Amino acid sequence: MHSHTPAQQMKDLIPMIEPHRRARTRRWWVGGLLKGAVGLIFIFLALFPLAWMIIAGFKAKTEVLETPFQFFPEVWHWENYVRILSDSAFLRTLGWTLSGAVLFTALSLTVNSMAAYAFARLEFPFKKTLWVTVITTMFIPGMTILLTSFIVVTKLHMLDTLAVLVIPGAASAASIFFIRQFYLNIPRSLEEAAELDGCGAGRIFMRLFLPLSKAPFVVMGITAFLSYWNSYVWPIMVMATPEKFVLQQYLATFRSERTSELGILMAGSAMAAAPVIIMFLVFQKQIIGNIKMAGLK
Amino acid sequence: MATTTASAQLAEAGPGPLAEDPARHRRYTNRYAGFAYLMLAPAVILLGIFVIWPAIYAVYLAFQDWSFYKAPTFVGLQNFTNVITDPLFINAIVRGLKFVLMTVPIMLVLAFLFSCLVVSVGKRFSTLLKISIYLPTIISTVITSIIFTIIYDYSGGLLNWAIGLFGLDSIPWLGDPKYALKAIAIPAIWLGMGLTSLIMVSAMIDIPEEFYEAASMEGANWWKKTLYITIPQMKNILLYLLVTDFVAALQQYELPLVMTNGGPLDSTMLPNLFIFSHFRGDPTAGYSIAAALLLFVVLGAISAGIFRVVNSEKSVD
Repeated sequence: MHSHTPAQQMKDLIPMIEPHRRARTRRWWVGGLLKGAVGLIFIFLALFPLAWMIIAGFKAKTEVLETPFQFFPEVWHWENYVRILSDSAFLRTLGWTLSGAVLFTALSLTVNSMAAYAFARLEFPFKKTLWVTVITTMFIPGMTILLTSFIVVTKLHMLDTLAVLVIPGAASAASIFFIRQFYLNIPRSLEEAAELDGCGAGRIFMRLFLPLSKAPFVVMGITAFLSYWNSYVWPIMVMATPEKFVLQQYLATFRSERTSELGILMAGSAMAAAPVIIMFLVFQKQIIGNIKMAGLK
Repeated sequence: MATTTASAQLAEAGPGPLAEDPARHRRYTNRYAGFAYLMLAPAVILLGIFVIWPAIYAVYLAFQDWSFYKAPTFVGLQNFTNVITDPLFINAIVRGLKFVLMTVPIMLVLAFLFSCLVVSVGKRFSTLLKISIYLPTIISTVITSIIFTIIYDYSGGLLNWAIGLFGLDSIPWLGDPKYALKAIAIPAIWLGMGLTSLIMVSAMIDIPEEFYEAASMEGANWWKKTLYITIPQMKNILLYLLVTDFVAALQQYELPLVMTNGGPLDSTMLPNLFIFSHFRGDPTAGYSIAAALLLFVVLGAISAGIFRVVNSEKSVD
């Protein structure tokens, strides 16, 4: 008998394990191949239209709708992207939409987080009534109030201004609810410690709650930004001057008015989608992680 | 006095501690009431002006004969009876239900398969799958419409080229009433899959692994495990998704608005698009608002009914 180290013992055991493992591995391998194939089909179906849009942006006018179909252009027409990015109307629309979206996001985060803090942490008369009222607004469908909202903004002389795009949708019961849920989970003891140091509610909100709000702000901020960036129906109702059209309006108009310039249209669409795609890829962890909560609210 | 107890001393000293004086206690807990109202004011005022007031106003206008050009007169239920007896509106509802049948079952089945796949593959691949499936969701309806309109193009579109490979004749997907609604269902599924799938994935991950281990010991195959463990465990989330997807699909109108504007021959005139076109085309608004309210009430009742059934079963379990 000679002594074995644990590592040697393991080595001796391997031949005994191997046959069994090999059989399992083969089955695993077939299943894995199948899963991989199905997965690739899902990925293909999800991404193909987007990839096609980006590639079509490099095609000549007539090539976008050419039979037989070719995924890649014969000659890469970089000038489509160059032309759309040097087109003053497109750049103005892009800047206008971007500044509106940033303003909208900032406003909605401010307004909703303030309300969320009051509902989560402060006591005041009629709290329950107000809370129920706010939550009820979540269930009012847009279509029901579309025309009456239009009447309201007309009476407030907001038509055709940045205000009509930014202000009406800024307060949102869903955002208040979401941020409030987050604030409810911040330990009371932190607050009590701050209070012992002489902080009032205002300073607790500014110094304690806001710095801790990064995670919900990222999710809510992206949601707000996306909803502004992608909105189409409200802008076509309230904006009349073509110079003040938002991006989606611009694209829809471009499609109906310059029907032959498909390469540029695709390049423009790709450029309009690029910021949100990049934003999503950067923050995908937070966004996807949050979906679980969205489903179970 | 040596016999005086501590509590008697306190009682002598004046009003008792906070808890014994309700008014003072309330004053203490509400000490930030003014600040709270200040914090609430922006959100509540905005919601009041742009959501609550328009909603009240909508209910009011639904009972009025009104237009931008004349003063409202009360007409009772006239608008509602006009809506219910309008064959165009009824047709739009039926079309909406057809659209639901074209989109929701496919979405739920695909999302279920997708979730099964995601929970059974490695971390990297599952992340890649989740990102891919969610990416279309963030793309705007307008861009989606542009992409798919060109794919559907009659003479040079990708789809007609593809079916041409199988020897089929080109089809005017968006120009033929027979195909237009189906053609719009596909981008609707493409856009809507992400959220449904990811909610399903997170529900599926939550099912305890032990259930499957026990089933494997008894020799259950994948199909049996799905039928007897996965689906029953996910019953609530599946019903939740069924309701939310149903409501969302029935309310879809941006896609047909941009892609076909309701045509050809009204074949893609979904309920909300019908109402929206009325808004823009008809100066008497009572009809459109009554239609929107009716649709909302019916949808709300259906969702509430389904949730009630779900919850009552849950309490029995």
